[in-house]
Amino acid sequence: MLDGENGWANQVAMKILVRLGDLYGATKLIPVQSAHLSGVSYKHLGDAAIDFLNELADKGGRAQTQASLNPSSLDQKFLGKRYSKERFAKQARIIELYEKMCIQPTLTCTPYYLQKPRPGQHLAWAESSAVVYANSVLNAWTNREGAPSALAAALVGKTPNYGVHQPENRRPNVLVKLETQLSTEADYGTLGIHLGKLLKDKIPTFKGLRDSEDDLKQLGAAMASSGMTALFYTRPPNKKERLEFMSVKARDIEEAASSLCTTDQPPDLVFIGCPHCSINEMKSVANVLEGKKVRKDAELWVCTSRYVKERAKKYVGVIECAGGRVLCDTCVLVTWIKDIGVHKLMTNSAKTAFYAPTLNDVDVALKQCLKTVCRN
Amino acid sequence: MKATKKTLQGRGITSGCCKGTAVVSEKPLSFLGGVDYNSGVVIEKNHDLKGESLKDKVLCFPSGHGSTVGSYVLYSLVKKGLGPKAIVNQVADTVVVVGAIIAEIPMVDQIDIKQIKTGAIIEVDGDKGTVKVKGEVE
Repeated sequence: MLDGENGWANQVAMKILVRLGDLYGATKLIPVQSAHLSGVSYKHLGDAAIDFLNELADKGGRAQTQASLNPSSLDQKFLGKRYSKERFAKQARIIELYEKMCIQPTLTCTPYYLQKPRPGQHLAWAESSAVVYANSVLNAWTNREGAPSALAAALVGKTPNYGVHQPENRRPNVLVKLETQLSTEADYGTLGIHLGKLLKDKIPTFKGLRDSEDDLKQLGAAMASSGMTALFYTRPPNKKERLEFMSVKARDIEEAASSLCTTDQPPDLVFIGCPHCSINEMKSVANVLEGKKVRKDAELWVCTSRYVKERAKKYVGVIECAGGRVLCDTCVLVTWIKDIGVHKLMTNSAKTAFYAPTLNDVDVALKQCLKTVCRN
Repeated sequence: MKATKKTLQGRGITSGCCKGTAVVSEKPLSFLGGVDYNSGVVIEKNHDLKGESLKDKVLCFPSGHGSTVGSYVLYSLVKKGLGPKAIVNQVADTVVVVGAIIAEIPMVDQIDIKQIKTGAIIEVDGDKGTVKVKGEVE
């Protein structure tokens, strides 16, 4: 394959995997159950990537394993109509090129809701929040891939066996003791932002963490944003291991929360769904909005996958009836919210609060935001 | 022009051999957002190469950083004839390695780039992992 008997696209993909494997000390390539690709939004990719994807698709690039895509810069029904025709066409072209390579246009950062990986399965996933969820909540095994390396893994069906594909690299090295109560999903995310900065790529294990899968999703997404976390554990290991010790106090969470808020003004846009909402989260949003109306001077976006939206019709109805919008295929971070008049964003996601000031150039407030967005 | 000659031994990352004028930076470089896709000129704020064109140069810098999408920017610049001919790094990072592979240009790392001056004619051999400094502009 390295000599190019399977075409240029496969040859390039192989070269990427073999070279990265050499650099990080892999001994071989191993098959992966699935690949999940970042590098879909035209806002982030720009024109350069279209050139490369075009050449790959033209020269025989076809996925050799199940492969899915991260969110794009717009959805056809709502945002697609608010941007230029050029943006719409370029985004459509990117997705079309991936589809030509047999990569599914799932357009979600939560591929695990569509198909849940089984414990111990090897994956090649980009999208740092999905990586940490797969490793920590589902006990599947994947490194933090980048956009090109996940694409290469999709085209070859394999990944180099370094990093957390090796059992010895999956052991925790820091014990985190929580000396405060976390109540909301925003609290879990805030804890993640605080810890990610301190931990970098270390593997934490927690003491005193009461958890739901949705809260752990917020915690992991945030740690993977401010740090490089690929894996965490929710309870200390049985075996006595030498672990570094770290404690988190109420003040740490308060400080991290205030560092994430750049405005206390009323928001133009309230955003829920980073990472994309689970069915359970759709239900929670609907429960709060039941019988209420969204204020006229703000928009409410709830972002999820088409898969979840289809299965949460009852809740979608309640959210839309209240004046909110349920968007699929996209999210705030990967679209041009400033171009559609958003300057002040409010969200319950610490990951979004962490990135939006730089990625979107907007002010942000991190809160339990549904009460704010409803009329009194 | 002083005809000094020295050979620096590093590690070959991508194969191929080429000779060109060095452009040397002390700072890490992000191709996404740091280099203009339409011109090949460095645009990263506060970067020591800001305003410099990378076209046909041998680009020497400590390491890459930033988004993995940066690999695609390097690919496009080279395909359009606006990119560097070869890359020399102190420490290879994933973004630059993948970029050099898909752009099909030679790359060597583990080189003390302080030994190379901007304007020097250097020869990069990605198979042997060497950088030969042919001559230096004083």
